[in-house]
Amino acid sequence: MGVLTPDAGTVTWGDSTVTLDVRRRVGYMPEERGLYPKMKVRDQLVYLARVFGVEAAVAGERADALLSDFGLAERAGDLLHTLSLGNQQRVQVAAALIHEPELLVLDEPFSGLDPIAMDSMATRLTERAHAGVPVLFSSHQLELVERLCDDIVLIHEGRVVAAGSAQGMRAKRAGSRYRVGVDGVPHWRPTLAGTDVISTTDEATVVELSEGVDPQELLANAQRAGAITHFSRAVPSLSELFAEVSR
Amino acid sequence: MNVKPGELVRIIAGREIDVKVHDKGFVASTAVFIVAIVASIALPAMLAGGAPSYTLAVLGDARVVSDAAADLVSAPDGERLRGVPETDLTVVEAASVEAALAREGVTAVLSMDAGRVVVTGREGVPDGLTSLIAAASAHVTAQGVARDAGLTNQQVAALVSPTPPRVDILAPGPDYAVPPQLLVIVFGLLFYFSVLTFGIAIAQSVVEEKQSRVVELLVAALPVRWLLAGKVAGNAVMAIAQVTLIVAAGLVGAGLAGQGDVVSQALGASGWFLAFFMLGFLMLACLWAVSGSLSARIEDLQSSTLYMQLAVMIPFFAAVFLPEESPLRVVLSYVPLTAPLIMPGRVATGDAALWEPAIAAVIVAVTAVVLIMVGARLYAGSVLNTAQRTRLLAAWKSGGRA
Repeated sequence: MGVLTPDAGTVTWGDSTVTLDVRRRVGYMPEERGLYPKMKVRDQLVYLARVFGVEAAVAGERADALLSDFGLAERAGDLLHTLSLGNQQRVQVAAALIHEPELLVLDEPFSGLDPIAMDSMATRLTERAHAGVPVLFSSHQLELVERLCDDIVLIHEGRVVAAGSAQGMRAKRAGSRYRVGVDGVPHWRPTLAGTDVISTTDEATVVELSEGVDPQELLANAQRAGAITHFSRAVPSLSELFAEVSR
Repeated sequence: MNVKPGELVRIIAGREIDVKVHDKGFVASTAVFIVAIVASIALPAMLAGGAPSYTLAVLGDARVVSDAAADLVSAPDGERLRGVPETDLTVVEAASVEAALAREGVTAVLSMDAGRVVVTGREGVPDGLTSLIAAASAHVTAQGVARDAGLTNQQVAALVSPTPPRVDILAPGPDYAVPPQLLVIVFGLLFYFSVLTFGIAIAQSVVEEKQSRVVELLVAALPVRWLLAGKVAGNAVMAIAQVTLIVAAGLVGAGLAGQGDVVSQALGASGWFLAFFMLGFLMLACLWAVSGSLSARIEDLQSSTLYMQLAVMIPFFAAVFLPEESPLRVVLSYVPLTAPLIMPGRVATGDAALWEPAIAAVIVAVTAVVLIMVGARLYAGSVLNTAQRTRLLAAWKSGGRA
C-alpha cells in the first residue's frame, strides 16, 4: 500500500504491478486506527474521498449513505474521538469503502471489537465480498477466519505455513485421525497394531491410524472395551491446526 | 482513474486551512495581534492629536499677562514665537483664587502678588501652560521696560519678537514619521511570531498524522511529497494571509488615525518585508515538517523542533539588537537565515541600495529550493516510521529510496 517497501518479490494486481494508480483503487485500513481524532466523522470521510479523487458532491452522498449503512448517521457531526472503539472501527471501514474500491485490504479489522460489533463487521465485509469486491484481511481470531474466509494463508514467523480453503486445510490435516469415546473407560487406549494415541481425555481418545488400518477395526477394538459413546473422524479446528503447524 | 497532483495538493492544503480557520486559538491570537497593532498605531496619534486645551482664570491686574498669553497663542502657525507651545487657551474672570479653583474646568488661576505673577493650580500645573505664562510675562515685562526707555513701537517689537534665524540644511536626512528601528522591530516581531506559530503548526500536523496513522491511509492514495507540498502550501497561505492581514490592519489603523506619513513609510518597507517573509517561510517550512516527521509522538515535538526554534529566534534577536552601522549587519543581510529579517530592515532604515534586497532575495530563494529538496527527502524517509523517533541519517538514507 506504499507503506512498506518489500524486502523481496513483487506485488501485482491483475497483470500490472502496483503503481499509485492501482493503489488508489484499493480500500485500505491500517491496523491501528488511521483517522483524524479531532475531525468530524462525515468531514473526515468526505476529505478522504476527495483525496482518492471522488468529486465533492459525490463524496458527500457516499459518506451519508455509508454512515446510515453502518448505523452512524446521527453521529456524522461528532468528532471521531468521541465515538466508541467499535464505532470508530466502523468509520474506519467506511473510510476504506468511500471511493468504491476494487479490493479491500484490512489489517486486523476485528481487533478490539465486542462480539456484537464483530458480528456486524463480519456481515458488512461478507456483503462487500458478495457484491464482488474481494476482501483481504489479517486476523488472529481463527474461528472467525474459518467462518468467513474462502481462502486462507497461515503465516508463522514470516513464513507461509499453510494455505488453501479452511475445509481443505482441515481435511488434509485430519488424515486418518479418529476420536473414540468408550463408556466407563476414561483414557481408553486401543490394543491394535498400527495405531498411535495423539491425546486422551476422560471422554475421548484421539487415535491416528497408520496407512492400511481400517477404521472399522479400530471401532471393533473399542467395542470390545465397552459401549461406544463417540466415534468420528477428528478434524482439527483452524486454531489447532495453526498450533500444530507452528510448533 | 486520473491522478491530478495539483488538485490533490489543493485538497490537502484545503484541509490544513480549514483546520486553522476553525482553530479558536489561531483566530483569537490573530485578532489580538490585529487589535494590538491598530491600538499601538492609532492610540498615540489620538492622544497626541490636537493642541492641549486650558482654561485660565484671571484675577484683577493679572489680566495684562493673560491678554499677552492669548495674543501669543492666537498668532498663526509659523508666526508664533519660539518657545510658545500650540495651545487652545480660554480665559475667564475670577473673584478669588479659591472661588476660581472651585469652578469645574479651570486648569489654573493667574494672579499678581506684589508685582510678581503667581500661577496657582490644584495638584499641578501643565508644563505647557507654565511656559506659555512665562513667555507672556516676559513679553509684558520687556514691553514695559522698553516703553519706559522711550523706544518706539517698532523698536519694542524688534526687541520682544526678533526675526528668527534662517535655517539652511544642505543634505536633509529622510523625514520619518516613525523611527525605522521601530518598524524593524514590529516587522521582526511579526515575522518571528508567524514563522514560529505556523512552523510549529506544520510540525504538529505532521506528527498528528503519524500518531493517528492517518498517514498510512494517505500514502496509499498519494505520493508522500505531494502530501508534504499540500501541508506546506496550506500553512504558507494561512501564514501569509495572516501577516498581510495584520500589516493591512496596521496601515488602515494608521490611515484612520491620520498618520499618512506612517502609512507611506510602512508601505514602502512592507513590500520587501512581505516578499522576504514569503521566501523565508517557504525556506523553513519543509524543515518544520521534518522536525514533525522525525518524532513519533506529539510529546517528542518539544525536543525535535528545538533547532528550528533557534533558527528563527537567533535571526530575530540579531535583527533587533545589532547596531545599525555594524558591518556584521550588512553581511547578515545576505545570509539566508537572517536575510529575511535584516534586509527589509535595512531597506526601511534607508541604508540598502536598490539592488541589494533583490540579490538577497535570490540567495534566499535558492536556499529555499535546496532546503525544500532536502526537507522533502528527510520527510519521505521518516514520515512512515511511526514506531519511534527517527534519526536524521536514517531518514536521509531511506528518503533516497522513497
